[in-house]
Amino acid sequence: MFQGMNFAPAQLPGELEALRTEVREFLNAETDWHPNSDFNAGASPEFSKRFAAKGWIGMTWPKEYGGGGRSFLERYVVTEELLAAGAPVGCHWIADRQSGPLLLKFGTEAQKQAFLPGIISGESFYSIGMSEPDTGSDLASIRTSAVQVPGGWCLNGSKIWTSNAHLNHFMVTLVRTAPATENRHEGMSQFIVPIHADGVTVRGIDNLAGEQDFNQIFFDDVFVPDDHVVGEAGNGWAQVMSELAYERSGPERFLSAFRVLAEFGKSLQNDATESQARLYGQLVAHLVVLRRMSISIASLLENGLMPDTEAALIKDLGNSYERLVPEVVRLYLPGQVPKGLAQALEECVLHAPSFTLRGGTREILRGMIARGLGLR
Amino acid sequence: MNEEQQLIGEMARRMLDDHCGPAVVDAAEQGDYPSALWTLLVDNGLTTLGIDEALGGAGGTFGDALVVLREAGRKAAPLPLAETLLAGQLLSSLEQRLPTGPMCFVQGDVSLNESGQLQGSVHGVKFARHCQTLLVAARRGEDPVICHIPAGTVAVTQGKDLAGEPSDDLDLFVQVQPQACFEIDEAKLDAVLVWGAAMRSVMMAGALEEALAATVGYALERKQFGKAIAKFQAIQQQLAVFATQVAASTRAAETLMVQSEIASIDVAIAKARIGEAAGICAEIAHQVHGAIGYTRDHRLNHLTRRLWAWRDAFGHEAYWQERLGRTLLADQTGDLWQQVTALG
Repeated sequence: MFQGMNFAPAQLPGELEALRTEVREFLNAETDWHPNSDFNAGASPEFSKRFAAKGWIGMTWPKEYGGGGRSFLERYVVTEELLAAGAPVGCHWIADRQSGPLLLKFGTEAQKQAFLPGIISGESFYSIGMSEPDTGSDLASIRTSAVQVPGGWCLNGSKIWTSNAHLNHFMVTLVRTAPATENRHEGMSQFIVPIHADGVTVRGIDNLAGEQDFNQIFFDDVFVPDDHVVGEAGNGWAQVMSELAYERSGPERFLSAFRVLAEFGKSLQNDATESQARLYGQLVAHLVVLRRMSISIASLLENGLMPDTEAALIKDLGNSYERLVPEVVRLYLPGQVPKGLAQALEECVLHAPSFTLRGGTREILRGMIARGLGLR
Repeated sequence: MNEEQQLIGEMARRMLDDHCGPAVVDAAEQGDYPSALWTLLVDNGLTTLGIDEALGGAGGTFGDALVVLREAGRKAAPLPLAETLLAGQLLSSLEQRLPTGPMCFVQGDVSLNESGQLQGSVHGVKFARHCQTLLVAARRGEDPVICHIPAGTVAVTQGKDLAGEPSDDLDLFVQVQPQACFEIDEAKLDAVLVWGAAMRSVMMAGALEEALAATVGYALERKQFGKAIAKFQAIQQQLAVFATQVAASTRAAETLMVQSEIASIDVAIAKARIGEAAGICAEIAHQVHGAIGYTRDHRLNHLTRRLWAWRDAFGHEAYWQERLGRTLLADQTGDLWQQVTALG
């Protein structure tokens, strides 16, 4: 279609179906949580621990650090099964998707040995520290900063919208470690900050659904030792950018409304009116195509490519779909709305505003796509 | 797509680039049929792709034919290529040898009586005037039959569809030989609808890719307020939406191209999804092109008018959405997630 865009058909290898069955069996045996289709909304340390015991956290990481040494496509299968089942993945989600791979790519040998085993065993949970009260889409404008002190850094500032920080142990924090120059992307670093360190305060923020899923974090003269600097000081921006294709093309970008659709289908069965059947077919057609696009990208990632524009495109299309589903399903509900459908719909409507904000706003993503089109 | 399909696609694209420019499309609309281009496609086996060599076809798969049709859609090729390939599919599924020359499938209110007379009238048959053979779907009593007749035996009233392509009305009053008629079942008639929908889906995907490239190109050239309109965020955001729709269409279309056996459920997904994209993208393409895109002189209309025509042909979005919805709701083998993952 245009330079560099690539959604060539790819399929998950058939042999992964055994793994899929294994994940479904594991999830079917789980009883102490209610399904929640938004990956951000459910968090259970107990669940994450049981999940880790199956070897499914860090499953693509090298065996020498305790990882599973399995393929990215295998992880894709496990991930999408978790999301479709509405499992409470919030505790291990960020560490597995982002923090671990970051350490593997940029961390020192000592950091890999120190931090990865805790993630893999489901005992260490991570947060992302990027946004600040005055920094949203314009990430390079961060003001949280650190100055060098003997043996490390002294950190001051604040991060916000930090999901599950109240349950987590570490935050990979983007910090200005040198004053901004003409190149705004220079002078930033990533620190691993223990959330329970002296000088760190966590203040919960209720979202509009009334849940405390995110937080504001304050750093007051927090000492961060040198060995907690990820990779090279000053390389923070490049490191952050390298995570985006993984962050943006996964099934969490189009499955947040899946439970609404599944419950809608269950409520219809063979009694569907023409309009209901049509809407159901339309929404499933979108879902199947999105999933196929996402699997195409997963195959590129598996082959070591970094399709950033394609990932942005999937996230935008997937998020728009997630926003659409509750808006239209509510108009075609059956006369007697089953409780499961009513709950899923309410939850989805309340969470929907976050879909097109988190992980890159719709407007930022469309700007990236425009760049991919050669418009900027 | 496999390597062979890539080669087939490149060959078709080169041929159409050289011989099917905007002037050819405009001339065809004025009645100047590009017969030399048709001969070129015939000579390269592109009009009988996906049909067994033993039956007079060029071999290859149905997916190979779809690869060529995407290129035909991209260049708005004003030829009965899809029509001939579709009729060829039907003949080969009846194990009949292909005749030479363009063909089309004709379906409407037509009956075949006891004495072998085919009677009826059919509205809006694409490219009928250019075809040599008609495959007419008729009813003998309640039973469906396909009759294979020379086009010269039928009265043709010429017309155009909204894309400006030939769309003719046929009056049939023809004595047919018993050996020219084949009993079929309803499933076969449905298969023709599925093949036709697959063909229009990939043609739309090709036209959408071309329309995106043309619109991006225009946005970079056109200057207002002292700069290219591509530099305005309002335009960038529109074109980004356009690109997401095109990417989804391409993925849905390519799914069909790589299948060894065409699956009707994937055709339903493709026709529903791409038909939806066609409307969204045509709107953005015209908005970004401004008034010049609304003229007959500008080639954008070759693509957008075809998108509007093709999204309605062989079942519009609502038809395929409902059919897909009912198929999934009636299937008791698994829940929605099992169905989605089984589709791959």
